[in-house]
Amino acid sequence: MISLSDFKHEHSPHSVAVSVKDLGLTYTTSIDKKPTLKARLKTLGRGKKHTRIVRALNDVSIDVHYGTVLGIIGSNGAGKSSLMRVISGIVPPTQGRVEVYGSVSTLLALGVGFNPSMTGRDNVYLGGLAAGMSREEIDANFDAIADFSELGEAIDAPMRTYSSGMYARLAFSVAAVVEPDILIIDEALSTGDAKFKEKSLNRIKELRTADRALILVSHALATIEDICNEVVWLNKGTLMMRGNPTEVIAAYREFVNARKSASSDEDV
Amino acid sequence: MEKPVVVYEPFRAGLPPMREYMRSLWSRRTFISEFSRSELREQNYGSVFGQLWLILNPLLLSAVYFLLIYVIGGSSDANRFGHLTASLFLFYLIANSLTGGVKAITSGQRLILNTSFPRVMLPISATVIALFKFIPTLVVFVAIHAIIGLPYSWQMLWAIPILFIALVMALGMAILISCINVYFRDISSMLPYLTRSLLYLSPILYEATNVSDRIKTLEIANPIFFLLDSWSRVVVHAQAPSMNGLIHASVWALFLFITGTYFFLSRERDFAVRL
Repeated sequence: MISLSDFKHEHSPHSVAVSVKDLGLTYTTSIDKKPTLKARLKTLGRGKKHTRIVRALNDVSIDVHYGTVLGIIGSNGAGKSSLMRVISGIVPPTQGRVEVYGSVSTLLALGVGFNPSMTGRDNVYLGGLAAGMSREEIDANFDAIADFSELGEAIDAPMRTYSSGMYARLAFSVAAVVEPDILIIDEALSTGDAKFKEKSLNRIKELRTADRALILVSHALATIEDICNEVVWLNKGTLMMRGNPTEVIAAYREFVNARKSASSDEDV
Repeated sequence: MEKPVVVYEPFRAGLPPMREYMRSLWSRRTFISEFSRSELREQNYGSVFGQLWLILNPLLLSAVYFLLIYVIGGSSDANRFGHLTASLFLFYLIANSLTGGVKAITSGQRLILNTSFPRVMLPISATVIALFKFIPTLVVFVAIHAIIGLPYSWQMLWAIPILFIALVMALGMAILISCINVYFRDISSMLPYLTRSLLYLSPILYEATNVSDRIKTLEIANPIFFLLDSWSRVVVHAQAPSMNGLIHASVWALFLFITGTYFFLSRERDFAVRL
């Protein structure tokens, strides 16, 4: 909840950026549709709650240091996105404690805050402001964003006329100019065609500096192995393994293969 | 070792650190205006005809209601029409704020699940949108006021504090109802009945002076009764508002704003899980 311009201090490499201690997260979801007053009145006095408890994270402890690029892997439902949401302050933890030492920018989904009825240009401002940039920062970076997105004149067309690839390209471009201390990216590398994918990957590599911490969530194991210098493997909310990318990925592959679902997981 | 910038711990109902929250809210003020603008654009108010509709819509509405009171009441005069338009326009500021606010959080799901920001920005935008829609109607009323030859006086400056009270009340209602709707989603379908009742229970189709004292006592429970009465006295009759009316409106506005904000801020960290 801190805007990016608030904390622009230097971080010494190897100091802690994010510290996650004994983190537990349980969701209570209602089984039957939406929570309504009617449903609440109906169950009144019966003492029966129509809820199901989901343990999304279980005793997870991770320290992320400045200068690290941490990759997070795991199959669907492993708790990767939940962990990212807790670190970025969107969902409060149920147990444990998360300490964040710097400004965080999250790229959990592309085009958050975009309004399809507005032009690409308006949405650059809208998306940038939603990401916590100031209007001046966006003004200064606007040309860079437009260039990076390769949209050309389409930037002044309403976004509802965009193809999904164009939409994703603009969304990534807005996010790519933000330069926070800690950057969290969830599955956002897989946008656009092969050429744009390579370009966004290069941008991520540029962001790897000693005074920044990057956390990447992806199913693209080859990419993770290429970019990250540390990998965490989550499975069903628990930390399975953490360490050298090659070793963790090898162990994960073996685990997945044992469950005979390898084909479904290597998916960019 | 450095001090942590932010610490996230298990959710407890309670207010977040207020200074930090307010600073964060203030730093996002441009987002609020840009977001409201884009929502208005979405509702087609970006074009010339869209903006014309903003003026036509309240005018047509007041024409319909004027017809109604003419048919029921038998007689009508210019004052009556002035009162009707002035009250109806202010009423719509509050009603639009409520209808925009009720879905502010539930429809902002994507934004809430993927970015961290003070959630109260969303109902604030709903009120800002309602205000944007109110301003053209104010211009229309100034024109009507001149055309039908209603009186002018310095007492009309009271309109400024009254508008301010109305805005605080509209904001408080938007914040409160957006929060309630997260927990009870059927509130949004009950809302039309609520606003309709407010419309009929408030001095809009009739004047407060026509109401019996017994009913007037009961109207203490209606947050906007004396607010609308004061508004009509000031802008239509160019008289000073009654102090009791102003106090009643201010107390309700503050009560709604404080309880709404308190509930909202103490629960907002829980919203992401509930959506």
